[in-house]
Amino acid sequence: MHMNVDVEGQMVDPLIFYLTGKQPDSGKKAFANKRPALLAAYNDLTRLRYDFPLVLIDGKVAGAPVRSLSVLIDDLLQKVAPPGMESEQLRKMILRIEREIRTMSAAGESGLLSELWDKVAAKLEQADASFGKQVRIARAALEVDGQVIDCNVDTAKYFIMHLWSAVQEEKARQFRATVSRLAVKLADILRADYLRSPAGLSAESLRAGIGPTHRGLIDFAAMSALLPKASKGEGLSEARRHRIESALAILKGQRFFAAASGQPRPDEVEPYSFRFDKCADALAAYKARLPELVELVKAMAIAELEIDNAYAEAKHDVIFAGFDAGSLSPQDTALFPDYVVSMGDGNGALDNAAVMSALSSGVPLKVLVNIDDIVEEGPSGVGYSASGLRNVQLANVAAGLGEVFVLQSVSSNLGQLRDRIMRGLEFNGPALFSVFGGVQAKGAALPAYLSAAAAMQSRAFPAFSYDPSAGPDMASRFSLENNPQVEADWTAEAFDYADGNLQRIRQEVAFTLVDFLVCDSRYHHHFVKPPRSLAQERMVPVAQWLARAPNESGDNVPYVLVTGSDSVLSRVIVDERTISAARRCRDNWHRLQELGGVHNSFAARLLAREKQVWEEQKQQEIASLKPTASAAAPATAAPAAAAPAAAPAAAPEAAAEPARSPDEAYIETERCSSCNECTLLNDRMFKYNENKQAFIADIKAGTYAQLVEAAESCQLGIIHPGKPINPNEPGLDELMKRAEPFQ
Amino acid sequence: MTLETTHCLLRMYEEHHALEDYQGGVPRWCNGCGDNAILAAMQRLCRDNDLRPEKTMFVSGIGCSSRLPHYMKTYGFHGIHGRALPVAEGIKMARPDLNVFVNTGDGDCCSIGAAHWIHAIRYNMNMVVVLHDNHVYGLTKKQASPTSPRGLKSNTTPRGAYLEALNPLTVTLGIQNVSFVAQAVDWIPEVLYDIFSAAFHHRGLSFVRVLQRCPEFLPKMFDPWLQDPQKTMLLTHEKGLKLSANLAKVYKNQRQHDPLDLNAAREIASIDDPIPVGILYQNPEVPCYEDLRHAGQFRTSDYVKAGLEKEFDKYTVWPSDQDESKPAA
Repeated sequence: MHMNVDVEGQMVDPLIFYLTGKQPDSGKKAFANKRPALLAAYNDLTRLRYDFPLVLIDGKVAGAPVRSLSVLIDDLLQKVAPPGMESEQLRKMILRIEREIRTMSAAGESGLLSELWDKVAAKLEQADASFGKQVRIARAALEVDGQVIDCNVDTAKYFIMHLWSAVQEEKARQFRATVSRLAVKLADILRADYLRSPAGLSAESLRAGIGPTHRGLIDFAAMSALLPKASKGEGLSEARRHRIESALAILKGQRFFAAASGQPRPDEVEPYSFRFDKCADALAAYKARLPELVELVKAMAIAELEIDNAYAEAKHDVIFAGFDAGSLSPQDTALFPDYVVSMGDGNGALDNAAVMSALSSGVPLKVLVNIDDIVEEGPSGVGYSASGLRNVQLANVAAGLGEVFVLQSVSSNLGQLRDRIMRGLEFNGPALFSVFGGVQAKGAALPAYLSAAAAMQSRAFPAFSYDPSAGPDMASRFSLENNPQVEADWTAEAFDYADGNLQRIRQEVAFTLVDFLVCDSRYHHHFVKPPRSLAQERMVPVAQWLARAPNESGDNVPYVLVTGSDSVLSRVIVDERTISAARRCRDNWHRLQELGGVHNSFAARLLAREKQVWEEQKQQEIASLKPTASAAAPATAAPAAAAPAAAPAAAPEAAAEPARSPDEAYIETERCSSCNECTLLNDRMFKYNENKQAFIADIKAGTYAQLVEAAESCQLGIIHPGKPINPNEPGLDELMKRAEPFQ
Repeated sequence: MTLETTHCLLRMYEEHHALEDYQGGVPRWCNGCGDNAILAAMQRLCRDNDLRPEKTMFVSGIGCSSRLPHYMKTYGFHGIHGRALPVAEGIKMARPDLNVFVNTGDGDCCSIGAAHWIHAIRYNMNMVVVLHDNHVYGLTKKQASPTSPRGLKSNTTPRGAYLEALNPLTVTLGIQNVSFVAQAVDWIPEVLYDIFSAAFHHRGLSFVRVLQRCPEFLPKMFDPWLQDPQKTMLLTHEKGLKLSANLAKVYKNQRQHDPLDLNAAREIASIDDPIPVGILYQNPEVPCYEDLRHAGQFRTSDYVKAGLEKEFDKYTVWPSDQDESKPAA
């Protein structure tokens, strides 16, 4: 790219312009079609391979449900045209098709990937016959298909709705499997009861159960008379039958999930829709369906208990009689579809209060707010931004609710945030997705992709997420990780250009909110070209200007670098109102940084305090060492040694053995292997404890001879006979000699 | 997918069982038989985990060991020789909600049932398999089994067994998909119980070999180990066994062994003396066959019937096109 620095222009005194924002009308016209210098390289996006367009993958296939066209094409190239001379031509053809699809998509054409591919391939084959068989083979190797979407104001809606559908489909799959199992098992209980009933055991019923080949061999009347005698127990009680039949009917008639594809619902009841475009409608639907949801959960719980044979009428009837919406746990409701609301900001008509109220209502809402303007007009009218940046604050406020999953992003970044969005959609609770899709219509000078990317790059609309399920503290829950150069106030990139002498110059150029506003024609009257007479030294780059205190500026003025369609680099002076907006934007970014643990002011304060304490402590130590420096030298060589050595992990202490007289008989019960030797010898003297291990229950219930015999027969040698308690027992001398080895 | 409500309702009214609730009659094993210790530990396990008797199944083959299901007041299946494992696998496949235990002996498992044993390890279905290893056929009055030590004189080997004993631990640890292998001895009941408990809570096939005394036919076989605690090497680890202080005081011969270390497990398994006792190997990541084969579709009898009909129809010769029972093309 060839560029020349041009500082031409005509205007009033630059300082007056800076302070008042006033400029001659001709200045406004002269400023048209400018864009920030850092975006000069992106004049034609269709010639670049980047993450758009995206393909929303149809059906349940392995891998991510949304993929970039470039990733799909790369996979395809790997498969059909790996690097090498022989497949070079095919590679070029496929890449050409990709470029054409990207161009069509950027021009607003939509459709399935297969359709766009075929359209492009046919067109190229007409122009060049070599596009033929090989491309068709490559097309056949493309295993996935789906809607192709480019980056525009509707991207977030398609993208998040597609992921939401994938999450709901997985819920539906699990629900169908559960309900199918419950229904079959309940029907089995009824069927088993019928088979044991007089009707089931009638000769006709028995006859129907045997195939025609052997039917003639059996006397079904005799069998019918015989079988009831062998049947034990009674049939189902009327209450239980009613309970099972009711639960079965509710399970079959539920409307929360559609039947599996290809299986029409027998009762032709339409399943509920969970897509809305207003929070109020979603809340109303939730409330209207709540009684039905309660009945369904109740039926499922009853079914589980019945199938497990765990339903106890005395205990459970009372609970189910009072079962209502308050009985539902969040885990229960999480198994059912989430209500999704997709809304735009509608020219600033978005009711933030209504969204907050809905999100804090406890209803499983997933709200997508699709924003197409972040620098909202203030009371002064078009081109004067409001101080609050209301749309930017929406997600901040929602994160303050604490239990809401919040994700803020620009649409150009959605591909990178796919997994995080999935987490939000799977989150067991409400979620807000606030997405800026690029400045549309009103003052758009850039393609939506660039406009959205510029919003994030300039901190006008930073990406962040707040996930209450990620951990107990802010450090685990809050993330800023997708923003570029998170530590810095403004992002900065290296920028190359040629000066008036065609010498290459490289400089670091920051991208601020002011650069973002340059792209918006509504704000052009805040910029003006500096007069040729203005000294270069009086102009200060905006990032540098913002880093100064407001009163340090003297007679200097801030400027940004812009380029036009002629690729000529110029400086434009910015007025004070725009600089103020940039300061507010930076303050907002600082608040987010603090939440994300970057330059946290509390942490910095704590660190300073600890540092001070540490320094004071060191000073004291140095002071105390000074008088005895020579004597203490060896001791200070290893200060750590002074600390007591860490004690080894304490070994578990053995339970203190009970104080026992050496004359007392006992068994080491814990070592008993339940072999029955002693209990068979005398089951009143020796008994088993609750773990079926022996102990001496009553020493008077047997003789010393039995005690000694038990000790001798115990293979583990854990019976200790002690001394005899009856001194008159015959043969004691010999018995005590035999007992000696076991004492 | 199960509702939280159901969990709560079940938990609110859990039934608690006593040891006696699992005792199904007086064992007919010999006095001093190690099977008694295994039975007592099993009954404790059932009680402590509140296993519902109607949801618990003990399957066995043939032999002294295989009488165990008779003494448990749960469901049981006293099967045919060497076939306890395939029966148990069938039960688990049809009723994955049941707690399945297998009791098999060194003859039942390592001789006639060896093929089933190897494949059961490979299938890794979620059950506890207890190998009661007393080194002899006891029920048929003393014949050599595959684990009889070389030189053992028995009714079938009057001049002493000719072959080296088969080591069930090294064999099991050499099979693909092995997920849990432990060794216990019947004369240390605390460890026996702890190993059963770990085996029960492991998801996959837990193979526990229990060295077990036969007081009738090999009364002196394990005496040296009973009399000298140093001849028993207890394997401890934070992921494996943790000994009580009292036990640690008696059995001082201990070795730290990580149950995830398969190579070390194989090395330990080869040691005959001292006898290693503890969890040799445990890998919870090995998939279970019943999970791999779970088709997602709940197989009702109608579903199976429709599938069979469809297959049979491929080979049915229809007498005429007008046959009413012929399905539409």
